[in-house]
Amino acid sequence: MEKTLLTTRPKHDSTVRYLFYWSKEIIKLAEEKGIKVWNLEGERANRKEVESIIKKRKPSLIFLNGHGNDGAVAGHNDEILVEAGDNGDILNSKIVYALSCKSGKELGPESIKKGATAYIGYDDDFIFIADPNKVADPLSDETAGLFLEASNQVMKSLLKGHTAKDCHNKSREIFARNAAKVAYGNSKDYLLSTYLLWDAEHQVCLGNQNATL
Amino acid sequence: MADEKNNQIDEQVKKVVIANLQGLSPDLRMHIGSAGEFSREELIDNVEKETDVGNKIVEIQLNFLRSLKEGIFYGKNIADNEA
Repeated sequence: MEKTLLTTRPKHDSTVRYLFYWSKEIIKLAEEKGIKVWNLEGERANRKEVESIIKKRKPSLIFLNGHGNDGAVAGHNDEILVEAGDNGDILNSKIVYALSCKSGKELGPESIKKGATAYIGYDDDFIFIADPNKVADPLSDETAGLFLEASNQVMKSLLKGHTAKDCHNKSREIFARNAAKVAYGNSKDYLLSTYLLWDAEHQVCLGNQNATL
Repeated sequence: MADEKNNQIDEQVKKVVIANLQGLSPDLRMHIGSAGEFSREELIDNVEKETDVGNKIVEIQLNFLRSLKEGIFYGKNIADNEA
């Protein structure tokens, strides 16, 4: 089966804009590996396009960036893209990484019940800290990078063929490594470690732990 | 009596959380999901007013202290502890 990736990348507010920029390297890596990428960015991160591509193109891997809640992940202008009790079954046979708040609590478990292969996400708020002086160039923001580099490791490892469980563990290791770096380093911002470890603790991996792309 | 004691503990916890937040650079902003982004002073204000955001910050810092106690830190065993 052809390996394909669908990613949603809204950029309508400052938070998702950071995710938008930091997810670029994932698209680049996927393309380097010969994986077909369906990149729904900005206004294209809407429910109609997501459902259409999933139905017609049957991507094997889905990378959702956006706001979320217990039962849903949103796209452009916070339009709900996937929701438990509604269209959660569209994740059937997919490996999913949702970089959004809380969806690992209800949407993740429900999507697994309805046939998703694996679901990696967060069962509480995903928090990151950023330097507003870098807002024009989020990729140069080393503070935000401590969080988003660790998050990106999930997708990097999946694209390299590692199991869902290994991707989850590697990502959490990087959150923890970065927490140690700021806690033990000379950084005055040792408090960042609190939030790095929060994200690590709340990243969940559901479904088939041995699933690979 | 128990309520009064709990209130005193809550107030002390708030003071500790605020003292910790004072350690955050004033130049940084925290992004908390769809709640938005917050400066250090805004976070402190939310903790003082016990808003949803403020209560989340208190929860996170208490969680951090509990985790320290359990030794779930700094890359040593976090990968072995399922969330």
